[in-house]
Amino acid sequence: MSSEPIERRISYLGDRLRGRRCLICGKEYFDLRDYCGNCGRKSFGKMADIDFFFEKGKLELCTLVNEPTNKFRKFGSYVYGIVSFHDGRVRVPGRITDMLIEDEEIDYSALEGKEVVPRFRRRYSVGKSDIIPTISLAFTFADEYYPHQEYVILKPKKEYETPGIVGYGFYTSRFRIKEDGLERAVPFIDEDAITAAVEAGKLALIHSGVDHSLIGKVYVGSESNPYAVKPIASKVAQVLMLGEEDEGVQGVDAIDTEFACKAATSMFKDAVALVNYPKMGIQYAMVIGADNSQAAPRDCPGGELDFFVGFGGCAYIFGKTDVIAEVEGWFSCTSDTPDFWRRDGEPYPMHGGRFTGDPAYFKHIRKAAKKLMEKMNLKVSDINYFVPHQPNIPFPVKIARELGFKEEQYLPGLQFGRFGNTYSGSSPLGLAAVLDIAKPYERILLVSYGSGAGSDAYCFMTTSQILEKRDRQKMTVRYQAENPHIKYVDYYTYRRLKIGL
Amino acid sequence: MASNRPVIVAAGRTCFGEHYDKQPEWLMEEAWLRASEEACIERKDLEACFISDYFLLLTNKLGLEEGFLSELTELHVPMDFTRSFSSAFSNACNAIQSGKYDLVLIGGMEKMTDRLAKIRDDLMALGDPWSYYAGGTPEANHELMLRAYVKKYRIEGDDFEKLNLALAQISVKNHLHALKNEYAQFRRKITVEQVLEARKSAKRLLGMYDFAPISDGATAVILASEEVGKKLTDKPIYVLSSASATDYLSYPARSELTGFISVRLAAKRAMEIAGLSPMDIQLLEVYDQSTLLEMIALEDMGFCEHGTAWKAIYDSCLNYKGYYEINGRKLFVNLNGSWRKTS
Repeated sequence: MSSEPIERRISYLGDRLRGRRCLICGKEYFDLRDYCGNCGRKSFGKMADIDFFFEKGKLELCTLVNEPTNKFRKFGSYVYGIVSFHDGRVRVPGRITDMLIEDEEIDYSALEGKEVVPRFRRRYSVGKSDIIPTISLAFTFADEYYPHQEYVILKPKKEYETPGIVGYGFYTSRFRIKEDGLERAVPFIDEDAITAAVEAGKLALIHSGVDHSLIGKVYVGSESNPYAVKPIASKVAQVLMLGEEDEGVQGVDAIDTEFACKAATSMFKDAVALVNYPKMGIQYAMVIGADNSQAAPRDCPGGELDFFVGFGGCAYIFGKTDVIAEVEGWFSCTSDTPDFWRRDGEPYPMHGGRFTGDPAYFKHIRKAAKKLMEKMNLKVSDINYFVPHQPNIPFPVKIARELGFKEEQYLPGLQFGRFGNTYSGSSPLGLAAVLDIAKPYERILLVSYGSGAGSDAYCFMTTSQILEKRDRQKMTVRYQAENPHIKYVDYYTYRRLKIGL
Repeated sequence: MASNRPVIVAAGRTCFGEHYDKQPEWLMEEAWLRASEEACIERKDLEACFISDYFLLLTNKLGLEEGFLSELTELHVPMDFTRSFSSAFSNACNAIQSGKYDLVLIGGMEKMTDRLAKIRDDLMALGDPWSYYAGGTPEANHELMLRAYVKKYRIEGDDFEKLNLALAQISVKNHLHALKNEYAQFRRKITVEQVLEARKSAKRLLGMYDFAPISDGATAVILASEEVGKKLTDKPIYVLSSASATDYLSYPARSELTGFISVRLAAKRAMEIAGLSPMDIQLLEVYDQSTLLEMIALEDMGFCEHGTAWKAIYDSCLNYKGYYEINGRKLFVNLNGSWRKTS
């Protein structure tokens, strides 16, 4: 059974890898120490907060753990060792994650000395009713799937009248399952919607160059929050240190939203409206869609979804400075159409075959897209890219064609075949793929769909600044889709990893 | 050298292994009875007890061992509880030397098997929590220390083979000594090949025979002032000095990864107080949670140069005569209780 105060202290320190540096002698600690062991009493009040969250470390020593302690049993075998930061000034224990070790011999000396990146993950297994423990003492090698990227805060250069996207990030794991030519992202065993949301937000901060303390609100849309009650957004706010921190509390509003696959896109307009509110001076708002998309096993009711589900998170930061894509307008529509649902306490969603196609997906997307184009007086030829929600390949292709879009307009945003259905992250992922390649002054039409049911249509117009920010992100959609370090797993492993710790 | 040297007048032990039918305090009682019988003293002769355990709080949810022992012994003497036998011993020596007591009991007990299923988690949670949170196991830190050692002293090729053999020989030697100890948990001869095979099947640097087993047991020592001690035994063992030191809990955070600063400090201080050097020592009992730790102790305590203990061990064990030969001198190490029988 968890102790809430102990969990709070471990994750407060361990999720962000917080520490202190003595301003007198420079000694560093992975701990929130009030004084330095070298300098003693005179160092009180002279210990600066530091953290290693965006740093890269070095794997100093390692060994194989193949008989883990009880709480780590579900990991199987893993490499464990000592990681140093800042040229050895701080050393911490660490588990190498995102590695499936079967029977191969581990050459420790080949791994020792390699650069590693701290990753925010679940810590270990606990009971189903316990607090989910997390930690960033999990590491991956910097020369593999997930590169180390510095987080450099930029001084804004340009103010915009119309708010828009200031930065974004898409994250999925290095694991995939490949069936019938389709690839779908599979979380590692210590990943879930919470860790994906944090990763996506982290990448969006890196891409945007936005000062994390200026973010006034964070929305996390998901339908696979491992908690029924407890927001993902509070974890994101704490780990990414959104808003000004004061006494362990972040000066930011954080909220989870749920509306099947449109839980995140729904909030784009709220974020835009918030940063445009003149009196409170909220400069930025972050919207994340993240899911470890759930599906029952294939032979169970609802199991048809098991051929389509993916994993990943997508984060957008909205503001009015250094905008890369302005939000030109939106239209949302809603009806009470029960095409897909998950009852409270049930692990997997159910899928009403009767409604899925026309009364649900097509009707709402068609409605939202047409109404927005009508409102904004747009023709299909005025739009460079069309990004619909993508639960599979036929649906988005069919609606795109029906609306009159050509392949060059809808294919760049169609990412289902590489990642699967990332639920709340699905159409945001398509948008990210387009933003990765779009030229300045191009118009993007995004239409999400959330079962239950509703759609949000948005028009974005890219700006000249989209190009200058592009170099700031290595973890693009394509980079993750075509990464040589991707690991393919079989069906059994996929189910095991997806169920997690 | 200390005046009023404390004297060990007797010692007693339980068998080590699994005692699923015994309460921890019963083990203490059993060890104490053996010691008291040897010293021909009665419970009421004791002026104080210095008892230690590390783990009963977790394994047996025991938080007031003093009370349990008081009830069992029907004694109302002061009982000091500490985390390790050596610190109980050190405190008892201080008390005797201060003149406060003349006859005390020092005890250590553990009941590891009562919660066998989660003992490795608990050992980690208690001993090095951040390593535990990062996935560390009780074995992993030893293996990391071995990696650090191999890298620091650039031990490669034949030397690396010899180091691995030397560690295996430590286990073989310690099992050999245990044959003569009727209280030992495992009384069987093992071979270097078995140690190596266990490492191979574990696919790790150290295997089953390199680590201390999980066991229950208790040990008791009767400590007296010089004056009283001489009356109780004609073979007094004098405590010439005692010293202790501490270090960080978290192994990765320590500045020294190939040894123990605390061991170095404590050993140096104890020898200084006693006016001795490692050259004067003939018998050594050191903490050997793993074979590696016995080897490391030889370096930390000044018997071997850093990075070289494995050579002395390897050479001594090619034709083991019951002791290590270090710099041309005999050093008996970790006799595992065989000494009392053979001397």
